[in-house]
Amino acid sequence: MRTVILRDDQRERRVSIDDNGRVSVDDVPIPAIDLSPGVVRVGDGPGRLAWVAAAGDVRWVHLDGEVYEFEVERAGARRRKGAAHGSLSAPMPGTVVRVDVAPGATVRRGDTLVILEAMKMELPIRATSDGVVKALHCRPGDLVQPGVPLVDVE
Amino acid sequence: MTLGRVLIANRGEIAIRIARACRESAIESVAVYSEADRDSAHVRAADLAVAIGAAAPAQSYLSIPTIVAAARSSGCDAVHPGYGFLSENAAFARACTDAGLIFVGPPAEVIEHMGSKVAARELMMQAGVPVVPGVTPADQTDHGILTAAEQVGFPVLVKASAGGGGKGMRVVRDAASAAGLVGAARREAAAAFADGTLYVERLIDRPRHVEIQVFGDSHGHVVQLFERECSIQRRHQKVIEESPSTALTPRLRNAMGEAAVAAARAARYVNAGTIEFLVEGAGDSARFYFLEMNTRLQVEHPVTEAVTGVDLVRAQFTVASGAELPWTQSDLTQRGHAIECRVYAEDPANGFLPQAGPLLLYREPRTPGVRIDSGVVEGGSVPVNYDPLLAKVTALAESRPAAIARMAAALRAFPILGIRTNLPFLIRVLEHPDFGAAHLHTGFIDEHAEALLTPREPPPEAVAAAALSVPPVRSAYSDSSSSPAGADPWATIKAWGR
Repeated sequence: MRTVILRDDQRERRVSIDDNGRVSVDDVPIPAIDLSPGVVRVGDGPGRLAWVAAAGDVRWVHLDGEVYEFEVERAGARRRKGAAHGSLSAPMPGTVVRVDVAPGATVRRGDTLVILEAMKMELPIRATSDGVVKALHCRPGDLVQPGVPLVDVE
Repeated sequence: MTLGRVLIANRGEIAIRIARACRESAIESVAVYSEADRDSAHVRAADLAVAIGAAAPAQSYLSIPTIVAAARSSGCDAVHPGYGFLSENAAFARACTDAGLIFVGPPAEVIEHMGSKVAARELMMQAGVPVVPGVTPADQTDHGILTAAEQVGFPVLVKASAGGGGKGMRVVRDAASAAGLVGAARREAAAAFADGTLYVERLIDRPRHVEIQVFGDSHGHVVQLFERECSIQRRHQKVIEESPSTALTPRLRNAMGEAAVAAARAARYVNAGTIEFLVEGAGDSARFYFLEMNTRLQVEHPVTEAVTGVDLVRAQFTVASGAELPWTQSDLTQRGHAIECRVYAEDPANGFLPQAGPLLLYREPRTPGVRIDSGVVEGGSVPVNYDPLLAKVTALAESRPAAIARMAAALRAFPILGIRTNLPFLIRVLEHPDFGAAHLHTGFIDEHAEALLTPREPPPEAVAAAALSVPPVRSAYSDSSSSPAGADPWATIKAWGR
């Protein structure tokens, strides 16, 4: 018997898998059998397939035309809470086209702080809450990578 | 003359599509690739491959001298530009011709003429083809654009005079919001086309986007291969196309087909091209307006190939070699109903933001009546540098409902994992009651955003399947991390205290 905790951006689910491979999700038995790498047969009927892929602690699942992403909870690992307090980062690699704020500026939720260009499109980086710009980490022309903080707002 | 060896000046699915047509026509093909594409599928699809430079398009796929030199040095006698990149660049067509290469497409001066929205409109008006009211203001300052918008009448569409593809395009509903939107449009236009000139046109209310495929040869023949409806768009880019269009009555279809042929004749058009129209209203009284002409093969050409049964790319080679079109107008008919879905690496729930990353799992469905044109493979990755189109799925069936059902079933059996895609979104569009009822217009996605974009709660079966892939704790840290090198420190944490 082992327990796996999976989280999506809404909530956690506790999955137990017994020594015979029987699976329960939040204590409800769910038929699921590994067929081949990345392919799981689910449910009681024949031929309902889920496809699964792993990248580190992330699990991707395609089932019935929807795709779900989960994160595997690690014992001892600290819960991840978005990026560091109020720091806004690039969602994908891109070039900084324009910076609309300076440190110390007061911003409102939804204000455009930085404009990136990626894949020939402009992507505005907007404040996710009201606050004050604490630090700027980019300049026009910078090439930025996903996850790297661009602006800190507090 | 017959073509012996063709350089394919493109990448991804369209490069592979062209390489296949070469093989069927007993023409040798030469692929080109940037540093980012060294291991891409299109490189292996051709007979030969030539490296053309850095990942940035300007230093590879958009570099005219590099591509012309690659064609010369690899012994090509022709160049197929595909779509996007240099396909509608008159200077490129001219550079090919000057280097003694056949450009598989219309003559450079036709590309130039139809590429200018102003010149194209004037030509269409002369040919008796209706156009949308609009203007390229001589005064290109914010003030000049605003004045033009007031003359044309709000709401207006402000867009790059030099290009298409939705780049540098903004809807401006009133004078108050104009300044910011015009600035953004100008910057995007300048970045994408090296020309920030803006065009202002009246926004047609709830229009349907219906285009006619045309084809001309150098002997003066012009035919039309019926319509494709492309009303399902996001960011002014098409995602689902179909033929026939439910917007057209037989009478309107004839009128639009005739207008398209008249337009192509007026342009002295040679090779494959598309006349895009906006359709306003319904029934025989619906009105259509010339939008623009695409002087190249369209992304959505498989829809036309499905309903007419012809091979447009092979015909491009036939016409480029100087021969006559393989069909006359009376040879061409529409049969059944075809739908194409474009599968993009993008995040619909997050403004359709393009995604780059690894394709951990990618399995194309094999079902009857479904064609897949793709440029990626499982284990490959989607680079950040290019358009994030992964695959085009085209379903043909005897009726529209049957084609929709066939398409939805195919997409349900098309798992793509490791990168977010629009696949779930496409299925939701196909199964939306208003899509089934053909209540289509170019604002469809915005109108139904909530139904189409709201994330769904994972069913317990999905959770169970994910859990089975988590190995018992002792080996839990040995699975290889395929995630892109993230800056997030938590993503790199492995075992504690071991």
